[in-house]
Amino acid sequence: MDTPSPSIRDLAQRLLTAEAARQSVAEPRAHAAVRVCEKLRVSLTRFAGVDGFAALLRRALALAREEVPALHGITEKTDGSLEGLEKLVADAGNSGVAGSDAAVAITVHLLWLLVTFIGEPLTVRLAREAWPDASLDK
Amino acid sequence: MSAQGQDRVNIRQLPTGVPGLDEILGGGLPEYSFNIIAGAPGCGKTTLAHQIIFANASPDCPVLYFTVLGEPAIKMLRYQQQYRFFDQSKLDGTIRFANLSQLVLDKDLGAVLDAIIKEVEASNAKIVVVDSFRTVVRKTLSTATESELQGFIQRLALHLTSWQATTFLIGEYVEGEQRDNPVFTVADGLLWLYQSVERNSIVRKLQVVKLRGQESVPGLHTFRITEDGLQTFPRTFGLAGQSGQVKGRRRLSTGISGLDALLGGGVPEGDSLLVAGPSGSGKSILATQFIAEGLRHGEPGIVAVFEEIPAEYAQRAAMFGLDFDTPQKDDTLKIIYLRPLDLSVDETVHEIVNSVKKLGCKRLVIDSLVGFEMALAPGFRTDFRESLYRMIGALTRLGVTIVSTVEIEENFTSMDLSNFTVSFLADDIVRLRYVSIDGQLRRMLLVVKMRRSAHSIDMVEYQVTSKGVVIGERLRGYRALTSGIPSPWSFESDNIPQRRAEAEGDTPHG
Repeated sequence: MDTPSPSIRDLAQRLLTAEAARQSVAEPRAHAAVRVCEKLRVSLTRFAGVDGFAALLRRALALAREEVPALHGITEKTDGSLEGLEKLVADAGNSGVAGSDAAVAITVHLLWLLVTFIGEPLTVRLAREAWPDASLDK
Repeated sequence: MSAQGQDRVNIRQLPTGVPGLDEILGGGLPEYSFNIIAGAPGCGKTTLAHQIIFANASPDCPVLYFTVLGEPAIKMLRYQQQYRFFDQSKLDGTIRFANLSQLVLDKDLGAVLDAIIKEVEASNAKIVVVDSFRTVVRKTLSTATESELQGFIQRLALHLTSWQATTFLIGEYVEGEQRDNPVFTVADGLLWLYQSVERNSIVRKLQVVKLRGQESVPGLHTFRITEDGLQTFPRTFGLAGQSGQVKGRRRLSTGISGLDALLGGGVPEGDSLLVAGPSGSGKSILATQFIAEGLRHGEPGIVAVFEEIPAEYAQRAAMFGLDFDTPQKDDTLKIIYLRPLDLSVDETVHEIVNSVKKLGCKRLVIDSLVGFEMALAPGFRTDFRESLYRMIGALTRLGVTIVSTVEIEENFTSMDLSNFTVSFLADDIVRLRYVSIDGQLRRMLLVVKMRRSAHSIDMVEYQVTSKGVVIGERLRGYRALTSGIPSPWSFESDNIPQRRAEAEGDTPHG
């Protein structure tokens, strides 16, 4: 299995930055990471269907757990949303580092799976649809 | 960049481990694809699946093989280990077997799906086989609706693909079941194996009915099952993607100077020449001289014979002073004897093509097309002309010059070119025939056709001597030579003065 490319990790960071820019200053960055996951879910479910997205997320979560063991407590729901991610972020406290890492890892692996199946240009296009105002260029 | 450009997703391909099959598939099996291997019982589906898994299984590519109500795993392993590809060391965790029979019997589709997903995720399998999936479908259709089945297959495909597994569902299907079948709709790839028994031979063929994302070779491809497992013989003969050569203007000598003159200097390089004539007319020795002449000029040659063994063929060449033993030892000549009984055309052609590639062959003789056809299993004879056409096209494009012989059942009212209607395969045709002249059965040769080049239109006498075929003089002063029973021209009664002039020495060349 290939590991996610630097450009996909960079894309995930850009999504996080774009989402963080919308939130209040007091809110931890980790919360933005959770919102990235949720926004991707809504957008990709429209594209791949609930089952299709849920299947991808299940794989992404399994791969992300290898990087961030804290994700072992997270499960996916039938609608493709994540059970326990918000709690993980909240428990991580105001610094939110662990929570942020967890959410970013899921996002990276979800995007990387998409790249594996449909290629990077189409993956970036799907991300643009979810964040039409964000600058996702390198 | 557009989708046609280099930014499109790169679909990696897995090798099948089956000789020839990767070429048929267009390079291999698309990674993460969801495939069906279909066919009637006994046609090699399980063996094909095993060949694929043993070719790919590794610690980085674990395999999970589900057995369901079909052949029990113990029996399967007992028989499959008889094949050479079977590697027992890979059963040490790399390839795992799981039995779903009881679950399928006792539970519903949801439970079967959950069990498959659970096993796949736990093993992190990269290749998943369900054998036989048909039994899952058959059992569940008795209790589930068709839409429930469709949903099950859809979810199974989604989960296994998303889990980055390449999947093979094996099923006993018969032709006609493809229509409106949700299993086939969801599948990315559909490989169909066929088997028919004709007289004493088994004819096996494989078709890639469907393969998303890459260009497979259409049509039915012959395959054989041996102790090595399946071996396929692609209709492209292993020459897919090879660019053809523009035919040069070089002429190859036949080793018969008089014939070279009639051909306008020899056989154009890369042409297919058909030598047609009755039994005993010297077709084989003419072809032998063509090969011997090539060897004299350092051009490796191959002779495909069907009616005599190589030693006999070399012995016969020696009778005409041609040494075929030394070049065979030097690997510049190969005499291929193709055993009769149950050959397929494509299998035969593959053997020829492989030898052509191995030797760097420039000249090929097929002696004879009649023998070739007779050596085939009855079920393959219908494919004969089409396969021959593809082979000759493929080889001549590579620059090989081919001389084929064909026996004509002689009659004395007309002059056929071939009883097998294979003359369309030839760029050039030389016809040999017997003619009855002055109380003798004499031999006559004429060049009937040469594509793209001028040739003599003379009908000449020839003899088969201890040196081989020797071209003699033009047969002048006879009418109806092509009928085989000519009569002398009677210039006065026919009142054709120009024919008299022609008979007296004017020799038009085409």
